[in-house]
Amino acid sequence: MSSSLVWYIREFARAEWIKKFLFAKTAPLVTPTHFRGFPEPTGKTCTHALFCMMACPAPGAIEVVHAGDGWMPKIHKGHCIRCGLCVEVCPNGVLKSGRIRETMGREGTSLLFSFRIAIDKDLCTGCGNCCTACPVNKQADAQMGAGGHSSNDDVIMRVQEGDIVVIHEDKCTGCKTCEVSCPNGAIRIARILEGYQQPVQEGLQ
Amino acid sequence: MKRIVDVNIPLGPIHPCFKEPIRLKCEAKGERITGAEVELGYMKKGIERIMKGRPWQEVMFLAERVCGICSVIHNMVFIEAMEQISDISVPPRAAYLRVIANELDRMQSHMLANFSYCYTIEHETLGMYLLDLREQVMDELERLTGARVTCAYIIPGGVRCDIPKKEAEALPANLDRIEEDLRRYAGMFEGGPMIALRSRGVGLLTLEAAQRAHVVGPTARGSGIAVDCRTNHPTYRKLGFVPITRTDCDNYARVMLRFDELFQSIDLIRKCLRELPKGVVRGGGVCKAGETRYSGEAPRGELTYFIKSDEFGRIVEIQIQTPSIMNIEACCHEMIIGSDSIADVTSTFVSADPCVACTER
Amino acid sequence: MNILQRIKNTVRSRSIHVAYVDVGSCNGCDIEVLACLAPRYDIEQYGIYVHNNPREADVLLVIGAYTPGWEEKLAMVWEKIPAPKAAITIGNCPISGCLFDRKGSFVDPPVKKHIPIAAEVPGCPPRPTEILQAIMSVRDSVFANWEEEHP
Repeated sequence: MSSSLVWYIREFARAEWIKKFLFAKTAPLVTPTHFRGFPEPTGKTCTHALFCMMACPAPGAIEVVHAGDGWMPKIHKGHCIRCGLCVEVCPNGVLKSGRIRETMGREGTSLLFSFRIAIDKDLCTGCGNCCTACPVNKQADAQMGAGGHSSNDDVIMRVQEGDIVVIHEDKCTGCKTCEVSCPNGAIRIARILEGYQQPVQEGLQ
Repeated sequence: MKRIVDVNIPLGPIHPCFKEPIRLKCEAKGERITGAEVELGYMKKGIERIMKGRPWQEVMFLAERVCGICSVIHNMVFIEAMEQISDISVPPRAAYLRVIANELDRMQSHMLANFSYCYTIEHETLGMYLLDLREQVMDELERLTGARVTCAYIIPGGVRCDIPKKEAEALPANLDRIEEDLRRYAGMFEGGPMIALRSRGVGLLTLEAAQRAHVVGPTARGSGIAVDCRTNHPTYRKLGFVPITRTDCDNYARVMLRFDELFQSIDLIRKCLRELPKGVVRGGGVCKAGETRYSGEAPRGELTYFIKSDEFGRIVEIQIQTPSIMNIEACCHEMIIGSDSIADVTSTFVSADPCVACTER
Repeated sequence: MNILQRIKNTVRSRSIHVAYVDVGSCNGCDIEVLACLAPRYDIEQYGIYVHNNPREADVLLVIGAYTPGWEEKLAMVWEKIPAPKAAITIGNCPISGCLFDRKGSFVDPPVKKHIPIAAEVPGCPPRPTEILQAIMSVRDSVFANWEEEHP
C-alpha cells in the first residue's frame, strides 16, 4: 500500500505534471493538412475517363456527372471511404485529397490501369451483343450490324465465322458494357491496376 | 450446512468492458468460475464471400476491414501473399517503410489493449495515460500514411507514398519522447501493488495448456512459447528480430509482454530509419495466377491468408485465419476456469486482447 | 417556458450519457469512439460520459452494418433506453453498408430502417473530432424542452 502511495506521489510531484495540470488547454481540434479527407475538385477539366469510378473500392461512392458543359466527379459521403485511389488514378488530376497529389508529383508515383478481355469459349454463343454494345467499336465502325460482323480492322473485337475474335485489346477502356450485355456471362473484363514509379532523381531523399 | 448455488452468469453482448459484442456464459459456484462458454455470431459479415472475384485493389480494402484495429498487418499479409503468387519483388526502401508502418500499427494496438486492461481493472489513470500516448503514435501513423485507422498504405510492388523528409527527421525525436513516457507507465504497471493484486496469478494459462490450445501472439509468448511469425519475414530477419517471452503465464505477464514489445517496436522503427535504403518505393508488377499460404504476425498473433487467384490477379478462393479465434478459445476454456471472482472474468478475457471483428469477419 | 424547464435544459445539455453498440463493424469506428475518451479529445469536458449501459444512456452510438445476429436485438436495446433519447450512427457502415453491402454478404444496411436515427457521421472511420461534433449537434436539439413537447 505504501509503495503504491509512493508511486502516485512520484508521478504527480513532477514539475512537468503540475505544469500540465495547471496550464494545459485542450489542443485545437483541427484536421491536419496531411489527412486524406474526402476528395475535392482541383478545378482541372475532367475528360470522362472514368478511371476514378473503376478504381473505387466502395460501391456507389463516386459518380461522374454532367456539370455545365463538361463532366465532374461527385463524391457521395456515407459511401466514400477516403482511400484516395480515385485521386491517384485520375490522369488529369481533377481531384485532390490530403497530400496525395503533392507526393505523386514529388516522387513520380502513379497507378496505371490496363484492361484485359477474357472470353469463356464454352459459354460464348457468338451472338455478337458485346461487339455491338462496345462504345469503342461504335466509334470505329458505326455500321456494325446486330451480328457483330465488321470488315473494319480498328474494332476491339468482332465475330468471325461464328466465333468472337479480340483484335485490339489495348483499345479497351474498361467500361464493362460488354459484360452487362452478354446473356451468358461469357465475357469478362479484368481491370488490372499497377503501381508505378519513375526512377528517383538524385538528391530527393 | 452451507448451500452452494450453481449460477449461470451471461456477460455481454453489450457489456461495459467489452468493446465488441461477444457473449460469455460463465458457470459459477458461488464466486468461483467452473466453466465458460463463448457465443459468437454478432459480427458475421461474410467478408471472404464478397472478396471472391475481385481484383487486389478492391480486396485490399476489404482485407483491411477484417479488423480495424490491426488493419496494416491485414493489408501487408494480403499484399505480400499476392506478391508471392506473382513474383513481384519489393524495392528495399518500400520493404523498410512497410515495417515502420506495421510497427507503428502494432504499437497503437498494444497500447489500446493495455488501455483496455487497465480500464477493466478500473485503473483509469494509467489507462488514460496510455490512451493519450496512443494518440501520439496515431499522429505518427497519420503523418506517414495519411490516415489514422484504415491506412491503405501497402500496394503490390511497394507502398503508396514515401516517408516525407521532414517526418523522417522528426520521427526519432518523437519516438524518444514516447519511449520516455512509456518507461514511466510500464514502471507504474510493474510496481503498482494494487495492479499486482488484480493481475498476478490471475488467469493462469500454463505452458502445457497453451500448447494444447494452440494460442498465438502475446498470449502464447506470455506463457513462454517463443512463437512469432516475424522471425520468418525477410525484412525482420535483416533487422535481427528476436521474440520476447515471459514465463509468468498470468494476466500480468501478458500485459507486461505487450509493454516489452512496445519498446521492441520502437527499437525496430529506429533501426529501420537508420538503415533506410535510398531508391524507389514502387517497383510495379502485375498480379498473376497461383495459390499460396502466407503468414504474418498481427498484434494478436499469427495471421494466415490462403489465396488462389486467376490469370488476371482476381481472387478465386480466399481463406483467412485470424489469431483471435485460438486466443478466445484458450481464454474461455483455460484461463477463465478457476477464477476466484466474477470480476476477474472480464479482466482475464481482455488481457488476451480478443478481437471479435477478426474472429467472425 | 418555466424556470424548471430551463434548468432541465441546461443540466441535460451538460450531461449526456452515451452507450455504444457494435452491430457488425470492422472495429475501426469502435476505436475512434474510444479515442474520443483520450485526453487529447477529452469527451468528458463537454459533459459526455461513455458508460456503455443502455439503461442509463441518453445517446446510443450505433456502429456497424447491421448483421443478422442483431435482428430484433438492436430494437430491444433501443427500447431499453429511457426517453428522451437519440441514436447517432458512426461511420459509413450504418449509412450505406460501406464495403460490405455487396451481393453475398450477410449485412442488412441501413440501420435507419430498424431504429430512428438522429444524426449520421460519414467517414470510414470518421475522425474523433467529427464524432464529437455530431454528439454536440444532437444534444441541444433533441433534449431541449422535451417535457413540453411530449406532455
